[in-house]
Amino acid sequence: MTGSPPAPDHFDLVPDALLAGRAADGDTVAFEALARRHGPLMRASARRLTGSLADADDVVQESLVQAWKQLDTLRDGDAVKSWLLRITASRSIDQVRRRKNHSDLSDLDQRLAAGSGLAGGGAAGAGNPEAAALSGSRMEALKAAVAALPEEQRRCWVLKQFNDQSYEEIAQTLNISVASVRGRLARARVALAREMEGWR
Amino acid sequence: MSASGDNFECGHSLEELSIYLDTGEFSDPGHLTECPECQSGLAALRRLAALGDELVSADIAAAGSGTDDWMQSILDNLRLELRPGRDIPVRPDTPGDILTETEGSISALIRSAADSLPGTAAGKCRLDGDVSTPGSPITVRVDVAVVFGHPLEERADALRRGIAATLARHTELNIAAIDVTVADVLEPGFPGPAAGPARPSESSEEKP
Ligand SMILES: [Zn+2]
Repeated sequence: MTGSPPAPDHFDLVPDALLAGRAADGDTVAFEALARRHGPLMRASARRLTGSLADADDVVQESLVQAWKQLDTLRDGDAVKSWLLRITASRSIDQVRRRKNHSDLSDLDQRLAAGSGLAGGGAAGAGNPEAAALSGSRMEALKAAVAALPEEQRRCWVLKQFNDQSYEEIAQTLNISVASVRGRLARARVALAREMEGWR
Repeated sequence: MSASGDNFECGHSLEELSIYLDTGEFSDPGHLTECPECQSGLAALRRLAALGDELVSADIAAAGSGTDDWMQSILDNLRLELRPGRDIPVRPDTPGDILTETEGSISALIRSAADSLPGTAAGKCRLDGDVSTPGSPITVRVDVAVVFGHPLEERADALRRGIAATLARHTELNIAAIDVTVADVLEPGFPGPAAGPARPSESSEEKP
C-alpha cells in the first residue's frame, strides 16, 4: 500500500466507531488498535470466567479472530467494545465446557481455586502503604469470595460486573432464562456482600 | 430458588433490590425511601458494586497494557485474512491481458489520503457504483474524524482534493463525487501522521 503504516499509538485518540469502520474495510492496523485498546479488559474477563491464565489468552486470541471475520456484521461501531466482550464471554464459557469434557470436575475446581489468586496484588497505591495494604487484602478477600461462588453465580456476576451485560445478554450467553439470571446474580451479590461486610 | 432467607421483614428481598440497582425498577418505589432495612440492603449492594469496580480495575491493570508483549504475541498469531472486496478492472498495457485491482486497495488509498492531512483520520469508506464496469461513475463516501479547532469545511474540501488527486494518480476510476462526512471531532493531542497539526507550541515538521 502507499505510505508507511501508522505507529501503534497513532490511533489512541480515534474513537471506536471510526476504527471499527476502517477495520471492517480491511484495515488491520485499525483493528489492532481496537484489540490493544480493549484487550486488557477482554483478558481480565476471560481470566475470571475461565479461571486460567493460559485459557484466557487462548480465548482472547480466538475472540479477535472471530471479531475480524464478523466485523462487517457489526452495525453500530460505537458498540464494538461490548461486542468484543460478548464474543469473549461466549468463548470463555465454551472453553470451560471443553475443559470439562476433558477433565474431571475436581480437577476443574482445583484450577478455579488456583484462579482465585489470579492477578494477585493488583493495583496497590504507592502513596499510602497502609491504605494500599488494606485495599490490597480487601481485593484478595473479594477474589477469594468470587472464586468460592457456585459456578453459575460467578458467571452471572462476572458477566455483569466485567462485561457490563444486561440480564437478557447474560441469559443468552449462558443459555438460561432471564429469571435465572436475576436470581443467580442476586444470590451471588448476597453471598459476596456478606463475605465483604467485615472489610468495610 | 426463591424463599431463601433473604426476605426482609418488610416483605421485600435482596433480589428485588439487586434488580432495582440494575434496572431502576421496583414494585413500590416510595417504600425504598422510608424502609431502613431496604436502605441498608441497598447500601450493602452499592458498597459491593464499588468493590466490584475496584476489582475490575485491578484485574485490568494486572492484565497488562495493550502495548505489552502479550498482546503483541496474540496479534502476531492472528494472521488476519485480507478483505479484498470487489475486483476493479484496470486497462492493461498489453491488449488481451486482464488486470484488476481490488476495492480493498482503493479504500486503503483513500484512507492514506485522509490520514496524510494533519489532524485527520479516516473511518469507513465506500465506493458506490458499478466498479467492475470501466468508466461507470463512482461516488466515494468516506467518514473522517478531525481534530477540534480545524475549520471543518476547509478540511473537507482539502480532503476531497487530496482523495481526487490520489485516485486520479493511482486508478482509472471515473469519480463522480466524493462525499466527506465528519463523523467525529477529536480532542486536540491526536498526533496526526504528519507529526503535529498547526499548534504553535508543537514542532511542525512535515514528513516528505
Ligand atoms: Zn423494605
